[in-house]
Amino acid sequence: MEVFIAQFINGLSLGSIYVLLVTGFNLLLLVAMIIHFSFPVTVVFSMYISWAVLNVTGNNLILGSLAGILSAIILNIATAPMFQHIMKKRGHVDINATMVISMGIGMIITDVLSHGFNHGFPIAFPDNLTGSSKGAMLNVGLISISRGQVITLVVGVVVVAGLFYLLYRTRAGRAFRAIAEDPNGARLVGLPILKTGIQSYALTGILGGMTAVLLSILLGSASPGLGDQMAHKVLAVSIIAGLGNLQGGLVIGLLLGVLEAMVQGYLSGSWSNAIAFVVMLIVILVKPKGVFGMKLG
Amino acid sequence: MEQKTDMRILQVQGLEVSYGHIQALKGLDLEIMKGEIVVLVGANGAGKTTLMETILGVNKVGKGDILYKGKSILGKPADKNVRDGMFLVPEGRGVFAWMTVKDNLLLGAHHNIRQADEKMKAVFESFPVLSERRDQVAKTLSGGERQMLAIARALMSSPELIMIDEPSIGLAPIIVNDIFEIIVNLNRQGYSILLSEQNVYKALKCAHRGYVLETGNLVLSGTAEELLNNPGIREAYLGA
Ligand SMILES: Nc1ncnc2c1ncn2[C@@H]1O[C@H](COP(=O)(O)OP(=O)(O)OP(=O)(O)O)[C@@H](O)[C@H]1O
Ligand SMILES: [Mg+2]
Repeated sequence: MEVFIAQFINGLSLGSIYVLLVTGFNLLLLVAMIIHFSFPVTVVFSMYISWAVLNVTGNNLILGSLAGILSAIILNIATAPMFQHIMKKRGHVDINATMVISMGIGMIITDVLSHGFNHGFPIAFPDNLTGSSKGAMLNVGLISISRGQVITLVVGVVVVAGLFYLLYRTRAGRAFRAIAEDPNGARLVGLPILKTGIQSYALTGILGGMTAVLLSILLGSASPGLGDQMAHKVLAVSIIAGLGNLQGGLVIGLLLGVLEAMVQGYLSGSWSNAIAFVVMLIVILVKPKGVFGMKLG
Repeated sequence: MEQKTDMRILQVQGLEVSYGHIQALKGLDLEIMKGEIVVLVGANGAGKTTLMETILGVNKVGKGDILYKGKSILGKPADKNVRDGMFLVPEGRGVFAWMTVKDNLLLGAHHNIRQADEKMKAVFESFPVLSERRDQVAKTLSGGERQMLAIARALMSSPELIMIDEPSIGLAPIIVNDIFEIIVNLNRQGYSILLSEQNVYKALKCAHRGYVLETGNLVLSGTAEELLNNPGIREAYLGA
């Protein structure tokens, strides 16, 4: 039972990270109308920036986190014109072309990470960020949970809740959803399409940055290959949930996190990826359009 | 003689619009006075939707000019025109099926969100059906209710000129009468209205003036009464 509870909490922390990544991916898909499956790779890039700043500033957590978040916003907005250019030139959504751009961005970043940082070796985040030194564990009865897990879970839940509040309860969120449902109709009711598109890049940038910080806390390390691994999972989660389905992404993201944690707790950590993908494979065979249905115009 | 421009909310001058090689509007002149209902009559493909969307700022203008409240709005994007008091009720209603009635209404108030609560109260008073269905997604509304929602959404934006594209399409005759009554009432409250219709008789009955479009050309214009009595119109559109 103790293992179950501990791993459940662990899974929710990991799951909330998947939810953040999937929601960012879906927002770009729905509002900016691009398939940016390398979005998680840009998040790992921000982890590296954050790590570098931590190194330079003698592990100043605030500066390190800020650098991670800022770099994600800048990177996201900087790549926006490239995507937007294609969209304007073709005059309609061109998911294939944006996919190629995204792929390119992902490969470049992965190469930069393996050549430019720490000689390509995995990086480790300092203990004062991850809280992984022994004294930092929380003990509740027989269950021990690391401070990092608690922080990721709490912040993750708050950010996801805030994000869904923004989407479903605010003026900007309403515009996001309207454009996502019917871009042409949204233009006819006077929504500023381009501006809202840029806002969605900025928002996913903020999301990406916060995810980078949470991932650093939770994993305590990163390697150049982490981005691709995350990207595959996020793409899988969003397809299984139903492309563009925000609520579906929330559910499936959390489930994947819990599934992986359970495999790690009861079977073997090194098999968690493979088992997660086997399960996802079965689900997609049964429900080719996603468990909750696609929401793409 | 110099006309008083301040009486005209909209002037379209020699307007030409093309989609690639297809010329949809071939030099069109039209004007709407403040407080008027003007009806656009024309068969399928005549260019009614193109004209409305071009006025709104969605299509590229090949030649000619569009003046709104006395100023040229060439090149001005739709969102700016909406901010300045223009609103289109699109063909096929254009409501967002997966969003609630309330959210659909609030989208109309995107540019004056501060007045949204007040506007929504007024809209719910005039359309009690929408008030009852406020938390339902628009997908669950009937055709007539959707058309009401589309018109109510326009009102949320505090418009001066409302363009309504074929509101009666696909509605039962009794509902069509309701919709026309709503439109006449709006006009009585002071909104200027450009209405496109294939239901020519009913539309002309409630309009001040009308224009007849044929494949991108203006073939006839006049007061509603003149058009109702015009033999050509009677034959082509009124089945007389
Ligand atoms: N997006 C488009 N691309 C190419 N041609 C178009 C496009 N939209 C309209 N057209 C053409 O422009 C002409 C005018 O079309 P429009 O939709 O404005 O007519 P309409 O009077 O609104 O017709 P309806 O009564 O069927 O709605 C038609 O010949 C149509 O085929
Ligand atoms: Mg039309």
